[in-house]
Amino acid sequence: MNSLIVVIAEHADGQIRPITYELVACARRLQRLQPADIRIVVLSDPVETLAETLSQKTGLPVDAIRVPHLTGYHGDVYRSVLAKFLKDLQPRYVCTAHTSQGLDFAPGLAIRLGAACITGVEAVTEINGDICFTRRICGGKLVADMVTDHPQRVLSILPGSFSADASEAVEPGAVFCKTATSTTPVRSISRGILRSSVKASGIMEADVIVAAGRGVGDKDNLELIFRMAALFSGSAVAGSRIVCDMGWLDYAQQVGVTGFTVQPSLYIACGISGAIQHVSGMRASGFIVAINSDPNAAIFNVSDVCIVEDMLTFIPLFIETAQHQ
Amino acid sequence: MNILVCVKQVLAAAVRIFPDADSHWICSESDEYVMNRFDEFAVEAALLLRETMPAGRVDVISVGPERAEAVIRRAMGMGADNGIHVVTETHGYMDPAFTAALMAAYVRNRDYDLILTGVMSEDDMNGQTGPMMAEMLCLPCATAVIHMEMLGASAVYVEREMEGGVRDALEIQLPALLSVQSGIHQPRYPSLSRMLRANRHSIEMIRAEFPDVPTSAVHVARTAFPGKIRAGCFLEGSASEKAARLLKILQARLLIR
Ligand SMILES: Cc1cc2nc3c(=O)[nH]c(=O)nc-3n(C[C@H](O)[C@H](O)[C@H](O)COP(=O)(O)OP(=O)(O)OC[C@H]3O[C@@H](n4cnc5c(N)ncnc54)[C@H](O)[C@@H]3O)c2cc1C
Ligand SMILES: Nc1ncnc2c1ncn2[C@@H]1O[C@H](COP(=O)(O)O)[C@@H](O)[C@H]1O
Repeated sequence: MNSLIVVIAEHADGQIRPITYELVACARRLQRLQPADIRIVVLSDPVETLAETLSQKTGLPVDAIRVPHLTGYHGDVYRSVLAKFLKDLQPRYVCTAHTSQGLDFAPGLAIRLGAACITGVEAVTEINGDICFTRRICGGKLVADMVTDHPQRVLSILPGSFSADASEAVEPGAVFCKTATSTTPVRSISRGILRSSVKASGIMEADVIVAAGRGVGDKDNLELIFRMAALFSGSAVAGSRIVCDMGWLDYAQQVGVTGFTVQPSLYIACGISGAIQHVSGMRASGFIVAINSDPNAAIFNVSDVCIVEDMLTFIPLFIETAQHQ
Repeated sequence: MNILVCVKQVLAAAVRIFPDADSHWICSESDEYVMNRFDEFAVEAALLLRETMPAGRVDVISVGPERAEAVIRRAMGMGADNGIHVVTETHGYMDPAFTAALMAAYVRNRDYDLILTGVMSEDDMNGQTGPMMAEMLCLPCATAVIHMEMLGASAVYVEREMEGGVRDALEIQLPALLSVQSGIHQPRYPSLSRMLRANRHSIEMIRAEFPDVPTSAVHVARTAFPGKIRAGCFLEGSASEKAARLLKILQARLLIR
């Protein structure tokens, strides 16, 4: 019997999230390294439409688990329903998304299943017969190859790491409908979804973004960033999460997974380390320039032009150069 | 209302690090250690909760080698009442399941209403230790909490931060474990008087050898510098030469007039 890879579908507002198809791509990659069957599991109420979409897009068998009254995501419910369902299937891999949903249930699920857990997986490779799971460490300055002897592994896959297959499957996969029983969460009760009223402040439309990170050092130094931005037409100032957490910039200016995703023609990252949570919000920019005093800063790996300098002295110099041309 | 906060000691973000073939982990240019930045938010959240709840205490726990004592003292300098240090010999990578099991062993049979962790550690970036510990202790758990409020003495209202400006609101029965997202409040600086008091206060030391701790399941085979996904052209010369060069590049691409 083939071993099994299970993909846990992520959805919100009645739509399958694109990351789900990236998880399928990761599962196919694992399947090429070790023969295995792939199944997708989706939890919701109602669940049929979601399951149909998955089966048509991927051609894979789908376990559609109807969990009465579950419309969105719920950690306690996901952990208990999935643990119960997967105990019998004994999958070799459970692929979840490295998102606010996946990260919320994957580690606990691993403990319930007695499985090993590896989060933030970006690549899967085979080295000397070992399957290695590559993930970033230390704010993205380095990557680590993780290995485990454990027969069962729960993985969370970093969005943007595996490219989803764009074509529809030739034949839809079979859909198996089930209903989960007695799952009323008593320990944590959902109080609904709140939508933020924070609107991006001009950074979505900007053609040029000058972004400040913790390297700016002080709120007063932000003035440099604004002066730099003033050199460009159609420009805006943005920041990393830390800078917004400190109250130096507004959350409306935060770029990244929990901020805004921007795609200007030019992105100038000043004193930003290049953590993946930031990079995922700006890596699609047309041209990327990074100024950082650390030659090994991760931001340089996603930049077109890298400048190893103290931003506090370099930026005034650049402004002066530009103004005297 | 007794709160336990898990704090980890990590290398300061500015320290240059390199892959280390011998330890399969990393080596660093200097050894400047600090409190995991995300844990400062957890400590702050605990201290603010204590203010609203009379007759409660905030304890901090850290698993790590001897040097980790510094972050426990720092948390006490911020205002935590007691410190617990689970002393390990490991200096390399430690599986989060192992760390979680060590802390869970301490917590079992103690009367904590709430356990707080950071959303992730700056070095390992697993985001696993908290939710694993919750599962080991059979506690309800919520991650990436950006807002919390006590609902009387037996429940807490939380908002979890999701992608795209969405928050997931939950009402959670105590005891519970929450991982705290950054930005929830501004972490305070340790005060000098508290720091002095903290230095006199003893810390509960525990050797990390509990019988029911699982053997580490995930290992690091190697570490490396990440690959580049763009040209990554490093400008050479003096700072002013670089400034002139950058201007030329931007002009050539019509990105600046
Ligand atoms: C669930 C979750 C969601 C997150 N969402 C986001 C998000 O949406 N957006 C986001 O940005 N982050 C997000 N983060 C945080 C992210 O992981 C990083 O902590 C953050 O991006 C780091 O910000 P930074 O680069 O400004 O600071 P640091 O990592 O501290 O980097 C500062 C950089 O400045 C450099 N530097 C210092 N001084 C100077 C100087 N004088 N001149 C030049 N360079 C200098 C340093 O070398 C360093 O590289 C999230 C984290 C989590 C766990
Ligand atoms: N060695 C440790 N000692 C105390 N707390 C820890 C330790 N490792 C992790 N934690 C806690 O667990 C959180 C998540 O860590 P991680 O799973 O490594 O990303 C941290 O923010 C800490 O609150």
